Amino acid sequence: MKYDLVVCGVGGQGVLTMAGVIDHAIHAAGLFLKQSEVHGMAQRGGAVSAFVRISDQAVASDLIAQGSASMVLSVEPMEALRYSQQLHPEGWIVTDITPMVNVANYPALDALYQVLFSVPRLVALDASRLAARAGSVKVQNIVVLGAAAMHLPFEAKLIEQQLERLFHRKGERIVKANINAFRMGDAASRFAAALVAAGVAARVVACVVTRIAFTPEPVGEKLVAAWCKRLLRPDALALAERLFASEDDVAPDAVPAD
Amino acid sequence: MSEMILLGDEAIARGAIDAGISAAFAYPGTPSTEIYQTIADYAKAHELPVRGMWSTNEKVALEEGVGVSYAGRRAVVSMKHVGLNVAADPFMNAAVSGAHGGLVLVVADDPSMHSSQNEQDSRYFADFAMVPCLEPANQQECYDFMREAFDLSEQFQVPVLVRLVTRLAHSRSLVKMHKRREPNEARFVADPTRFILLPVNARRAFANLVDKQKTLQTYAESHPVNALMLRESNRPGILVSGLAWNYLQEALGEKLADYNVLRVGCYPLPVQKIRLLMDASSEIWVIEEGYPFIERYISALGLMRELPIRGKLTGDLPRTGELSQDDIKTCFGVPILPSLAIPGLNSVLVGRPPSLCDKCPHTDSYEAINEVIAEFEPGARVMGDIGCYTLGAVSPLQGIHSCLCMGASIGMAIGVVHAGMQRSLCVIGDGTFSHSGLVPMLDAARDNTNIKVFILDNSIIAMTGGQPTAASDEQVVDLVAGLGVPREHIRIVVPSPHKKEDTKATIREELAYVGLSVIIARRACVTYAKEIKDIKETREQMRQIKVVAA
Repeated sequence: MKYDLVVCGVGGQGVLTMAGVIDHAIHAAGLFLKQSEVHGMAQRGGAVSAFVRISDQAVASDLIAQGSASMVLSVEPMEALRYSQQLHPEGWIVTDITPMVNVANYPALDALYQVLFSVPRLVALDASRLAARAGSVKVQNIVVLGAAAMHLPFEAKLIEQQLERLFHRKGERIVKANINAFRMGDAASRFAAALVAAGVAARVVACVVTRIAFTPEPVGEKLVAAWCKRLLRPDALALAERLFASEDDVAPDAVPAD
Repeated sequence: MSEMILLGDEAIARGAIDAGISAAFAYPGTPSTEIYQTIADYAKAHELPVRGMWSTNEKVALEEGVGVSYAGRRAVVSMKHVGLNVAADPFMNAAVSGAHGGLVLVVADDPSMHSSQNEQDSRYFADFAMVPCLEPANQQECYDFMREAFDLSEQFQVPVLVRLVTRLAHSRSLVKMHKRREPNEARFVADPTRFILLPVNARRAFANLVDKQKTLQTYAESHPVNALMLRESNRPGILVSGLAWNYLQEALGEKLADYNVLRVGCYPLPVQKIRLLMDASSEIWVIEEGYPFIERYISALGLMRELPIRGKLTGDLPRTGELSQDDIKTCFGVPILPSLAIPGLNSVLVGRPPSLCDKCPHTDSYEAINEVIAEFEPGARVMGDIGCYTLGAVSPLQGIHSCLCMGASIGMAIGVVHAGMQRSLCVIGDGTFSHSGLVPMLDAARDNTNIKVFILDNSIIAMTGGQPTAASDEQVVDLVAGLGVPREHIRIVVPSPHKKEDTKATIREELAYVGLSVIIARRACVTYAKEIKDIKETREQMRQIKVVAA
């Protein structure tokens, strides 16, 4: 078994914290790992990445070969596109859609989302908004981490254990915010995967998933089925784009009427 | 035995501690910074008798390490590759004088220049100084090789160089660790003339170093990391070193069994094994991270006609930048895997280079300097230096027009005056000024050269993550005055939007003056405010302890 993962974002967004949590979960799962990361100059608001390599055998290379990553996990939507060369043609992109605009030529958001939402296996979510609901805007990266969990080759509870270990000194409230954030991301990811599996178009999935106010509980099966049914109708794209453009929170049980 | 997920740098640090060091010295520089940081943090947390400090510069760090070694104890000294240029003098000569207590120098090279101005390969330095070099390829070897490096240093009484590269220094994996060995006792050698490199002694010491080469050669030949895997004769052979070994295994996978392979991780080069590889092979591929060091040796710069030798010199592998498994795949005709194609990607993906932080004092300094220069002499050049403020080179500030090496700004500004240019300005941080700006400042002061030196004093070495500077605040003023700059031309300004007009007025006055001016732009780094506070408190406590002791 081999699983390569790119974790990325912008300096200061907690990318290396995410990678560290994943590393320890891999070890707890009894698997081998190697993880290289970018330090130094890039931390001054530049692009930051970590290459996480997971295997049931010792890992040799510190780098990920072209076309072999199973996932790009990003805290920022433009950064999510930067490592597509590493990504397998059937790999997933899991990303927050909140832009970090610290360069003058940052692309127009409409154009950026147009390109990003065309990615066939995509979990795009509004992690910043979910983080605020989880109890702290600082846990944005943990929401994104939660959205990766179902695709990783080890149990999600190993990551939760690492979050508890990492944050227990900061008190119960912080631990809870992190666990909630993680589970919200996981709920979003499971929901998105179900829609993709049901054949809902990538752009529709992205527009809807970014607007749903997920709770730490997974969305129930019946609700998922209702959403799938609704989003397979001919007007799904128009509906999805309307939801996306409104920027309002959509409750998971508020399946729009026909 | 314990195990932990460690960065390559951290594995080096833990390896040094468990090898029984008494002291560690370093100057921060990516990708080596975490070595000393880890040693200091670990020693403090576990109350270990390991002394040392962030030294003023790499030369001083190595000299401090040599002193520990001469006194019979073990020391590790760490720096980035260009730091060894600064420390080259003690390095070359410590090789001649030899070590007493184990002396290990860890140098982290930066192929691809992730955070450096060149990609020089430190194996040349080890070769030049005729000292052994160990080149780990993974985190476990980082840990294990440190113990070995100290043993080697004490056995052969030579300094040992351990070479890292960025991708190893900043990559993590599980490391198994042993119990810490106790430091050895401090004891001087009976005959101190060994360490007095007067010609009469140096000739003897150098002959001794030359004599050691044969035994070092034997050591390298039998080192398990220098593993020769011969399949059958007349197969192609691969000579691979350091981190390239990791990439090679993944690039070729099972096909590697079709090749004769010699892996190298301990230098001097194991020439007998190389001879065996060449005799058994139809051609040789040389794959190494960094310069084509081995390839040049074994191909005699391409003059050798005995066997085809391929690598970076022949263009089969890229001559610049770090290697990857894809480079090696291409070299051996293994197909590169297809990746996800995203239509329209290039229209929405732009670069995101590092930049100065929001509210950074350097931004205010550059704005003020730029605006005053525009009044006096548009197009005047500002000699730059190394630190966060080097980022002032990029748009929109474009505030510096050169960046060479640590401390070079002042010397270059002096040169600009000697070339006959009307204005000569330079910027240097408080960290870089104490690292290597004092000596060129002495030249300018002696001559009252008409240069305008801006010391951007933010009270910390910020670029590498917030290490203490040797001097900041009033100490900088005293140092500058002590070097002979008149007090009336040492000006202190506060680089902030609020004080901009005051700052510009001061700069105007000093630009109008013909002679040496030092303008200290003093405002603490916004990113490392907490670290600066901690450093200042510690310094104040130390000062009070000294006062009480006196």
